[in-house]
Amino acid sequence: MNSLQKQQALADLITNGEKDKAVKLLAEWSRESSFKEVIFTILEPMLVVWGKLWMQGQLSLAHGYLSGKVAEEFYLLASKDEAFNSSVADSKGTVVLGNIEDDFHPLGRRLVHIYAKAAGWHIIDLENDVPAEVFVDKAIENNADIIAVSAMMFTTAKNIAKVRTELDKHSLSSKIKLAVGGAVFKLRPQLVTELGADGTADTAIEAPDLFDRLLLQR
Amino acid sequence: MNGLERIMSAVTGTDADFQPFTLLLSLYGSNYTKNNSLGYYTNPKVWFEGQKAAIEAFDPDIVISPFSFPVEASAFGSELVILEHYAPNIKKPIIKNLSQIAQLTLPNIEKAEALQFLLQSNALLVQQYKGSKAIASPIHSPADIPALLMGIEMWIDTLLFNPIEVELMMKKTVEHFVHFGNELLANGTTFLVVPVNFTNPMMITEKIFNQLLPHLEHAFSQIKGPIVVHNGGCKIMSFIDRFAKLPNVIALVLEPTESFDQARNLIGNNIVLMGNLDGPNLANLSTEKAIKTTLDILDNRKHDKHFIFATSNADIPYDTNKETIQAVATTIRNFNKY
Repeated sequence: MNSLQKQQALADLITNGEKDKAVKLLAEWSRESSFKEVIFTILEPMLVVWGKLWMQGQLSLAHGYLSGKVAEEFYLLASKDEAFNSSVADSKGTVVLGNIEDDFHPLGRRLVHIYAKAAGWHIIDLENDVPAEVFVDKAIENNADIIAVSAMMFTTAKNIAKVRTELDKHSLSSKIKLAVGGAVFKLRPQLVTELGADGTADTAIEAPDLFDRLLLQR
Repeated sequence: MNGLERIMSAVTGTDADFQPFTLLLSLYGSNYTKNNSLGYYTNPKVWFEGQKAAIEAFDPDIVISPFSFPVEASAFGSELVILEHYAPNIKKPIIKNLSQIAQLTLPNIEKAEALQFLLQSNALLVQQYKGSKAIASPIHSPADIPALLMGIEMWIDTLLFNPIEVELMMKKTVEHFVHFGNELLANGTTFLVVPVNFTNPMMITEKIFNQLLPHLEHAFSQIKGPIVVHNGGCKIMSFIDRFAKLPNVIALVLEPTESFDQARNLIGNNIVLMGNLDGPNLANLSTEKAIKTTLDILDNRKHDKHFIFATSNADIPYDTNKETIQAVATTIRNFNKY
């Protein structure tokens, strides 16, 4: 079976809701080659395709959630493998992640956490209802590259502007990039610039690519 | 003709004096009160004062009782957050782990303040408009309300991996749906409006849909009145033929990007179709663009007598220009359909 066929076999299992079988199959392939090879030649390429299908409305949120759970569980297995850990010893960078003050919709953030971690980012997840000052304080404390803020509603998204204000106040806007995401940014895309963000992604699967791009912009 | 007669003409497929329509103005009514959002979504008299003013401003044929599913879910114990100029949302779901489903008690309709707010607001609408306008009452689908009782992530996880807990939860939510839905109808509601967020292909897999559909059939069959299936902000076309066959369903509300022609091909010409102006996006449209979009929809449905123009998705936002909404209503009234 070549990589494309393996990607398809994995996608079929996830489509049918067979999470445990999907993780087991990935583990089997890893024993034949390595965790690193399976992640970079099978899992990540499949997730990229799924991200596009999800954006086009051809996959459900449940499919996105399932693929995230498979990635999370497989990454957990990989993290216990010495060879894998030594091969990815350096993370791509550090992301401070959270839902903005007054926002209590964790699913998108949780998925971003899973996908970004699987893609090699070090994630500091501050969870729900995080004030702007806390985002910036934690970013400084952890020498973060990116602050990623999730908001579902227009009212709560407006609080993200305070994160930009805090970054400016500490003269950190060129050092720490501000990524935003959530349903409201699909409805009102102009909000991304209005709130002073540096970029957004339409789905959680695309968040790691966004972080890669933002890192290059620094 | 009055509004109720216009709506009935769409149900029976007969000519009306003009194209029947409705707009989801539940949140927008708060523009017309001096109260804050907390007062608006907790005091039936305040809600009705705002709603009555909005209805008088735009004169829709269907009036709609409070659109806030989180309020309904708060009757189970989930904690609300009410932000200014926004409909309430859930801050903390009542269920934190699956073992709590068994202990979940259904709210007492007579005593639960949140349900009493919904019922009393509805009663004020009935008192004012019964006989002159159709009265629609949104109610959470038994397959959707678990997402507000345990959070979206936990409900999706449960649907994917815990079938026993799904059955346990659905048994409870179907019982609540039937009891509360029939109470609304007994109080004078013309029809219930049931969004189908967790039984559509944007949210769940077909396998889960097939697991949930019998519960919807069981629930809908016990409702003593008509039901409108609403897209809930998601596309419903993939399963529309299955929704159309559910007991007591008389109409379906399409998502703004969906095709009425495609829907007619799938479900025939006799069931009412509603939609599909994007309500939440109305705040982003110029008046000219809103008129053009409205006319495009009206032109597409010109020969469809089983059509009711409606905003799709959620509430028209608080900060939408009044002139834009007025232009939509005027365009519909002036449209030469018959």
